[in-house]
Amino acid sequence: MKRKKQAFCHDRSFWMFVIPSLLLFGVFFLLPLGMSVWFSFTNYDGWKTMDFVGIKNYLDILTSGDFYKTLSRTIVYTVCNLPFKIAIPLLLAALVTSQSLKGTTIVRTLVYIPVLFSALVAGITINWMFGQEYGLVNFLLQKAGINPLQWSLNPVLATVVISVASNWISAGYYMLLYVGGINNISKELYEAASVDGAKKAQAFFQITLPLLMPTTFIVLLLSTVNLLKEYALVQGISLGGPGSSTTYIVQYIFDQGFNQSRYGYASAAGIVISILFIVIAVVQFKATKGGGEV
Amino acid sequence: MKKMLKKTMAGVMIAALAAGSLAGCGGSSKDSGGAGGQGGSGNAGGESAGPISGQTLQVMISEEPGEGDALGSALNKWAEESGNEIKQIIISHDDMLSKFPSMAKNNDLPDLVATTRLHQLYPEEFVDMSTVLDLSLFNDSALKIVGKSYSSDAITGIPDQYTTTCMFYNQDAFTAAGIEAPTVDKPWTWDELYENAKTLQEKGGVKYGFAADVSRARYDILMYANGGSLVQQDGDSFKVAVNSPENIQTLERFVQANNEVMPKAIWAGGTTDNPVEYFKNGDAAILLSGSWNYNTFTNEISKFAFGVMPTPKGSAGQSAIIGGEALAIPVNGKNPELAKQFLTWLYEKEHYTEFLQIRKEPSVMNDITYTPDTDKAKEDFEIIQNEANYVTDTFMVDESSSWRTYKDNEYRDAIKRAVAGELPAKDALDGFAKALAESSKWGTAY
Repeated sequence: MKRKKQAFCHDRSFWMFVIPSLLLFGVFFLLPLGMSVWFSFTNYDGWKTMDFVGIKNYLDILTSGDFYKTLSRTIVYTVCNLPFKIAIPLLLAALVTSQSLKGTTIVRTLVYIPVLFSALVAGITINWMFGQEYGLVNFLLQKAGINPLQWSLNPVLATVVISVASNWISAGYYMLLYVGGINNISKELYEAASVDGAKKAQAFFQITLPLLMPTTFIVLLLSTVNLLKEYALVQGISLGGPGSSTTYIVQYIFDQGFNQSRYGYASAAGIVISILFIVIAVVQFKATKGGGEV
Repeated sequence: MKKMLKKTMAGVMIAALAAGSLAGCGGSSKDSGGAGGQGGSGNAGGESAGPISGQTLQVMISEEPGEGDALGSALNKWAEESGNEIKQIIISHDDMLSKFPSMAKNNDLPDLVATTRLHQLYPEEFVDMSTVLDLSLFNDSALKIVGKSYSSDAITGIPDQYTTTCMFYNQDAFTAAGIEAPTVDKPWTWDELYENAKTLQEKGGVKYGFAADVSRARYDILMYANGGSLVQQDGDSFKVAVNSPENIQTLERFVQANNEVMPKAIWAGGTTDNPVEYFKNGDAAILLSGSWNYNTFTNEISKFAFGVMPTPKGSAGQSAIIGGEALAIPVNGKNPELAKQFLTWLYEKEHYTEFLQIRKEPSVMNDITYTPDTDKAKEDFEIIQNEANYVTDTFMVDESSSWRTYKDNEYRDAIKRAVAGELPAKDALDGFAKALAESSKWGTAY
């Protein structure tokens, strides 16, 4: 009880630093969250209708085949992409921290630049490259005498393009996290391993990888949440098509809310998904012990 | 405790991130003048004290004005003559549906809206045009189809564009393939169109024989031509009939056509490519689109000759859909009087005639017609005008039901899923029929 009280006993300077962030957090996170919860119990159409409907929206979601299909598609997309989200930045980080590579600053910069792009801009750029009729990649394939690929028609190819773009745009950020982690590992450990006759690969797997577990946990958590929320990139690349084969859960919520004016239903879907995300995050946290133990 | 607090905070943040996905998007705005608008009275009466000047008219339009932009030219000319300024807010027709309610909630409505649906969906938000203009000067069917509210007889928008679905063809490709274009007296059947599209792909030097806009209004002419409809009259109410056997058959044939002679990716929804560009680039030989493209094609197509052909016949005959865009004045806009002043000016004989000559489209006013300046344009225009004769009774019943109040883009999405091969045609239409019936509370006919 005393401890609880102490948590709020700070001097004025503390609150002066904290209040701006608290305000922003309140206005842009807690308030929308509260509104979403309220909307989820109404038939709000975004403008004129807002009657209390109890748990109808939740029942509709839990009996909607489209919701489950979209959710399963999102989970499959997330699970398939996670290994790449971890492996590619890890390998890039190992590469740019290696003493034997020249020009590491340029490589780091080049890998990091896509992080600065807006996801929508990156999506539209990728769309231009992989456009079926007038795209650069198909143009080059045709020049090389290869049949153009049906990026916009084949659900698997469309998903691959989105996955490649997603990894391209995020690899730089996760690479930096890993670079920080690698730089924090004591050089003495590598020297000791070298004295014991360990090869570079052995040192990587026996020293680097285990000691990077806390960083890997952060990368895993962030990538999972970001993949589950993939939206702008998909809008730029495929608009959720062909058919609905690249429509993921946030597209579904957006479509229900903004295109079909079912704000109440969309809010309820947002809440259900939020709870699911929390469960996934907690499971990851427990499974990896917060990345704190090897 | 600390750990608990951390976990709770992490949970709340993740929840907030997910819930935050319901965020709005902004539209683009283009200011062609410098001064800001001033408040108007909001009075819907037709009489005003005198011409207003020195103010800014905010106009919401659907696309960046391009070459041959009749409305843009008229707005600029009026601004110059009246001493006012124009501020254009550009938001696509689809996005207007979500942006307009947000603008209304925030008291940030424009003075004038060029829209295809808003005034029909939300008639109470717009000025009754009978208080602004003499409606007897206007074409009755244009007023009913383009200007009338879905829920009453009020004319809440005044048509500025009255269009019909129409088919364009690449004359050079036809010549190369040895195909003669159909005529009003001797139109093709849809099966003949698909067959000829195949020949055009083989011999006409084009990649695709046929392309169609991704719009249910274009697809629906196939449905009406085969005797189908979205709803059926049921006393004073309606029954959903979109999943009738004729409609399922039509969709199945359309899916097949997409696999054989059309750029399938467009209707399958995997690309943002515009079939109009395919036609302009010479990649598609026949285009099902609308009469509004005629002006653009005249200005932009130079590498081949193009023409207009009559709509093919289905099992029940020919069909066409008429529609268009209306100019509507939001009641709660900042300066409705200024918007009224512009409309009164635009529909004066001299100004509307000039407007129509730029737009090259059928007139919405009774005594004013567009006069094509070449024999070829005259021939094409006759075919376009003739299309209005193919508007079916079933289309009129569908329109009178205002089914789009309940569901709209979902219908196009159902067709897309069928074309993509994700659902059989029957399941796609059954699914949409169920959704429309639930939303409208109408019964189902099938």
